[in-house]
Amino acid sequence: MSCEINRRDLIKLGAGAALAAPAAAFATTGRSEFFTPGEFATLDELTEILIPADSHSPGARAAKVAAYIDRSVAQAFENKERDDWRSGLKLVEELSHKMNHRAFMESTPGERVAIVAVMAKNETHPKTPEEVFFGKLKHATVWAYYTSEIGIHQEMEYKGNVMLQQFVGYELK
Amino acid sequence: MLQVDLKKQYDAVIVGSGAAGGMAAYVLSSHGMQVLLLEAGKKLDINMELRSMEWPYEHPRRGDMPPDCRALAGREYAIRQPPYAVGSPYKHVYSYVEAGKGSDYAKDIVVDEKDNPYTGTEYAWVRARCLGGKTNIWGRLALRLSDYDFKAASRDGYGEDWPISYADIEPYYDKVDLTLGVSGHKENLPYLPDSIFQRSIRLNPAEVKLRRSLQKMDRVLTPYRAGVTTDGLKNNKYRSRCYGRGACDRRVGGCDIHAAFDSPTGLIFPALDTGNLAIRTNATVYEVTIDKDTGKASGVSFIDTDTGKTYTAKGKSVLLAASTLESARLQLLSKSRLYPNGIGNSSGLVGHYFCEHLMGPGVYGLDKELVGKPRTLDDGRPGGFYLARFRNLKERNPKFLRGYGFEGGSGVGMFPENAYSTPGFGSAYKKTVRDYAGAFIGMGGFGEVLPRYDNYVDIDPHVKDRWGVPVLRFHIKFGDNEKNMAEDMAASAREMFEAAGFEVLSVSRRILTPGFSIHELGTSRMGADPKKSVVNEFQQSHDVKNLLVVDGSTHVSASCQNPTWTIMALCWRSCDHLADEMKRGNV
Repeated sequence: MSCEINRRDLIKLGAGAALAAPAAAFATTGRSEFFTPGEFATLDELTEILIPADSHSPGARAAKVAAYIDRSVAQAFENKERDDWRSGLKLVEELSHKMNHRAFMESTPGERVAIVAVMAKNETHPKTPEEVFFGKLKHATVWAYYTSEIGIHQEMEYKGNVMLQQFVGYELK
Repeated sequence: MLQVDLKKQYDAVIVGSGAAGGMAAYVLSSHGMQVLLLEAGKKLDINMELRSMEWPYEHPRRGDMPPDCRALAGREYAIRQPPYAVGSPYKHVYSYVEAGKGSDYAKDIVVDEKDNPYTGTEYAWVRARCLGGKTNIWGRLALRLSDYDFKAASRDGYGEDWPISYADIEPYYDKVDLTLGVSGHKENLPYLPDSIFQRSIRLNPAEVKLRRSLQKMDRVLTPYRAGVTTDGLKNNKYRSRCYGRGACDRRVGGCDIHAAFDSPTGLIFPALDTGNLAIRTNATVYEVTIDKDTGKASGVSFIDTDTGKTYTAKGKSVLLAASTLESARLQLLSKSRLYPNGIGNSSGLVGHYFCEHLMGPGVYGLDKELVGKPRTLDDGRPGGFYLARFRNLKERNPKFLRGYGFEGGSGVGMFPENAYSTPGFGSAYKKTVRDYAGAFIGMGGFGEVLPRYDNYVDIDPHVKDRWGVPVLRFHIKFGDNEKNMAEDMAASAREMFEAAGFEVLSVSRRILTPGFSIHELGTSRMGADPKKSVVNEFQQSHDVKNLLVVDGSTHVSASCQNPTWTIMALCWRSCDHLADEMKRGNV
């Protein structure tokens, strides 16, 4: 009973939309929760450069990796998380201007990959702020991609999470 | 189901509902005794908590906890002192067990460290407060101990022998196997006795390669001996057989078809069916009450964690099964004029001779022959392998006493962990992740930590938990034996991987903070001499005949084999004895 009332109240207040999954909301409205449209476009492109569509499977863009990251960052408990992402994307822009004298999204696809390559140079021992941001970007992209439907089923062709009659493997004599 | 009636004197009041409490309830209610089981945590709709077949992308945060919750990172335990959650801006803080951002599936199972602090030396204390306790999320490795453990002191001169031998406990191991189900492969090892096994887990190619290579070194790698029913149980209507869905290790584990043993479906629900068991959850016991005339335990006092009100439950016997550390806390809290050091503590040993398993050293490698091979299903089984102890069996190691074993596995799960460590990006990166994902093999050691008087817990004089109960203070440090053993674990792990032809990618040498194994043992050890032990071989307090401690507290030494099966076998034996003694009027 009380559940009914709460639900109706929510809808009346126009909060019903908040109950729907924001990722789905993004797909229809094209609006991000935290990043500006410009930042979002850059992030989306960066994730696709990291994990691109190829002949084997779709990439990060199709897997909506940027939308997942956007939502996680919007919901993050600590403001530092939002600051780090915002300043990281700014570093990408600065790097783009330094290397190509134009914004990241105005650069050619080849130029964009070259920018990411510079950021990825010291992946195991990052030193510059750009290199540190690459680690953050890659970690988030990897998690979001390989936990997505595309990542699990198409890219990794994962065969588990099903009922088996018998374990796969060698039977010992 | 019996209704809880606090006016009634039960035959037995049991504190805690995990492996030991569940077993005590099962055995005593089967003997026709009227039993009250008190659990500090909630009764959860566990299947709705675990949702183990849910895909990550079906969860709004891919399985992560809400943003205002977090799990402690493993390294935090080593760089800070408890209480670890003090000062955290997060609303809820949980133990490391849900690594990463913390698992949404376990947040109701493990305790909130903000409500349940502890103090003293660094210690990673993982607690589950809910019906079934830690058995809801345990690692499932179900091993027996042997006389290499029970009589270890006679073999190497350190510490005390257990007051029992393998022959005493063997029939009870058999009963546990048959009642709960255990999967495994017979190896005929005197130091790792076989159980009555159901269908074994199968090994994958890299694991078989390692097994064969180890045979030349006279060492044994056997399929994970899982406390999982792989053939089903005719005597239990609450549990399904294993269907290899492979969700066992995903986001803290737990089995929502209950093929893996857990105390509620394995023991407590069958006990309820006897009509002799009553359960009250949200009941945090803070004291064992005594009858001043007889000196016997008369029941327990508890707090209703929802209302904060206190109550007393009455019993002809009281069984502590709150976990090694909580049972010690409870004994130490139960001070009276008769028992000024805490109930059952005339020896002064409650809380002492704490022991457990050290963790940390291990190896991670690559089987190059598997790179680029077609995708296989490597995690459709409840475990990988167990590599049995090999040190201090025939020869005597000059640097340390006792032994260690390894748990490990090969292959890829749902998430390719190598995606984090593979350098680069782009299509080539994707392919590398894919090609290598199934080719890795790793194992981590579990080593016996020696029981020492100096490793102990006591009650903190100042700090209290959310309900006003004084908390535990840790005084626990690993010593030279542990350090030397850890060095040998890392070295032997590398040696075995190299001998098998694997490329060794990393060797971990660092010992993790005490507590990481979640195998805490020994704070009320058993023995024949009341001056040197807290309980007798039937887990009966030397001081208070109708008080039993039936959990891991009573283990005299840790062995290196995982303790759950031994906890249950010992508890069954003690409860049989208690029922006999009560029938004879001796308790």
